[in-house]
Amino acid sequence: MLGRRGTLRFLVTPPVAWLALFFIVPLALIAAFSLRAGSGAVGPDEPWLASVDQYAELAGTPAFLRLLGLSVLVAIGVAVLATLLAYPIAYFLAFRAGRRASLYLTLLLVPFAVSYLLRVMAWKLMLGPEGGVNSLLSFLGLTDEPIQLLLYSRPAVIITLVYVWIPFAALPIYAAMQRIDRHQLEAAADLGAGPWSRFWRVTVPLSLPGALVTFFMVFIPTVGEYVTPALVGGTDGIMYGNIIQGFFTRSANWPLGSAMAMTMLVLTLAVVLVGLRAVNLRRVLS
Amino acid sequence: MRLPYPARFLTVLMIIGFVLAACATQSGDGSPGESTAESAAGTSAPAPSAAAEEPNELLVLEWGGYEAEEFWTDFKSAHPDTDVTFEFGDTDANILAQMQGGSQADIFHFYTGWQQFYVDEGLVQEIDTSKLTNWDKVPAEYQELGQIDGKQYFVPWDWGFTSILYNTEQVDEVTSWDALFNEDYAGHISMWNDGPGAVAVSSYINGWDETALTDDQLAQIEQDWIDQKPLNAFYWSGEYTDLCPAVQDGTIWVAYAWQGCYATALAAGDPVAYANPEEGRNSWVGLYGISADSDSPELALEFLDQKLAETSCANAVTLFYYGCANGDVMSSIDDPVLIEAFGLDDPSILESTNFTPLVTEEQREAWTAMWERVQAN
Repeated sequence: MLGRRGTLRFLVTPPVAWLALFFIVPLALIAAFSLRAGSGAVGPDEPWLASVDQYAELAGTPAFLRLLGLSVLVAIGVAVLATLLAYPIAYFLAFRAGRRASLYLTLLLVPFAVSYLLRVMAWKLMLGPEGGVNSLLSFLGLTDEPIQLLLYSRPAVIITLVYVWIPFAALPIYAAMQRIDRHQLEAAADLGAGPWSRFWRVTVPLSLPGALVTFFMVFIPTVGEYVTPALVGGTDGIMYGNIIQGFFTRSANWPLGSAMAMTMLVLTLAVVLVGLRAVNLRRVLS
Repeated sequence: MRLPYPARFLTVLMIIGFVLAACATQSGDGSPGESTAESAAGTSAPAPSAAAEEPNELLVLEWGGYEAEEFWTDFKSAHPDTDVTFEFGDTDANILAQMQGGSQADIFHFYTGWQQFYVDEGLVQEIDTSKLTNWDKVPAEYQELGQIDGKQYFVPWDWGFTSILYNTEQVDEVTSWDALFNEDYAGHISMWNDGPGAVAVSSYINGWDETALTDDQLAQIEQDWIDQKPLNAFYWSGEYTDLCPAVQDGTIWVAYAWQGCYATALAAGDPVAYANPEEGRNSWVGLYGISADSDSPELALEFLDQKLAETSCANAVTLFYYGCANGDVMSSIDDPVLIEAFGLDDPSILESTNFTPLVTEEQREAWTAMWERVQAN
């Protein structure tokens, strides 16, 4: 029979090994490449030499740093919008849907059955010169001719990303609201709190952990997003992830691409830590 | 202090990761040409029935659109059971990066200017042209494009022009590459997402030799493209996936383009024209190489031989408006539209054409890095 330590090892080793092989090791490879001098892909002519040249080049290129900052701001905007828009959906599912909650939850998850790329491409059609948005504007008499630049812009990237994230974003908030003890709402009502007061002083604080999880769940991957900007962003909507992708593909400069990726990772973690400290997570969770 | 078990486990794996990274990079620490010689020697005397003994499958590293069966229909007819699959790149730098990164492709497709890198880095094997039944149909000047140091490493296949594709209903006749910088067409321009392409265009406009640019000239080119960036709707990567649909739906009026998109739009009846800029068009030749690590080099050779066959080449010409290295096919063209597209009716077309030059590694790196900075601005 396994002891306590043996049981722990038995349970922990498989997932840790999986994560290590497919997350930690690749991350270590990227970190190693970022500390390599020169450029190129695999198999350079020169031996691997430790160097901070790539970070120096990154620091000396204001355009890259500006774009990183801009991408962080876009990610914050997308995360805030997705969280705000997902919140009422989660509230409806948790408190108003009743016995049909599981049906609505299933409907919410229907978009997951469609490829991410297809959903983004759908927005390309929607925002295009002959797409749904332009047709609606024309039908309402608000425009005489299609707005050509609705597509291929930063707003197009934000609109599409928020749309893509909303179904995901609702789930952690819904889970948090499910855990709210209904007796607390009843107690608040017994003590004279009206609907708005109960919402603001009971529901919102108790669902805040879910909202925070949603925010960071959207924010973290959005910082490095490159598929959506490549499809609907045009030259105006390019994000930092597109440049990283460029260095790994077009430019075949893996060391600089790796340094850019590591810098983004560190900055993203820093933003998350600062954010968690600012909202005093321990107090929120307690 | 003794670390908890998971922490020790992760630490060990991270160390393994770093060691693997170091090993992976050091494995390429050979002198240029060393591995090339080995790979060439390895295929110098294959057994006559070697293709039959190889895996009956081929992986081709291609450009989007070239996977169309019309482009390799002769091979398909001769080898209906061979499993031919494709993976894609969208620039020469991207194709090279994939090969450097360990692509499993048996065959790769790239364009003039990049030959030397594949040979220097041992990524390609020498070709025995005596096994190519269609080789004698390839003009000598095309054959020579695939040679490095007197050895045949590459098979030339497609050729054509790069120029400005424009919408004749929205744009006056285009006579210069600087149409890509014309603010009147802001939001309706699309440049190829490629640094060397951008450097070539700027060099044509300024009358500079792109292989001998000074630092100041390159800085000027970078600034010009940064200023031009807001004029684009987007930088295109895929000719048929990005550019053509946008040209055909009227989003793009002026674009850096190849003939394939022009042919597609023209065939659909769209109001398009392909410019003859006063600075001259750009001309390129596509080359195929067989990977030094291919498991099916003989089958790959047959694939390339059949690519040069009449039907596949004729399809490239008539369906996609690309020239083909089969001289018999090109000399039989009598369609006026094709004659105009290839400039066969213009005896001065070659004199006013800018052929893609060989670039050095330093130039390649400087130009691609410049383009990433342009995009980030």
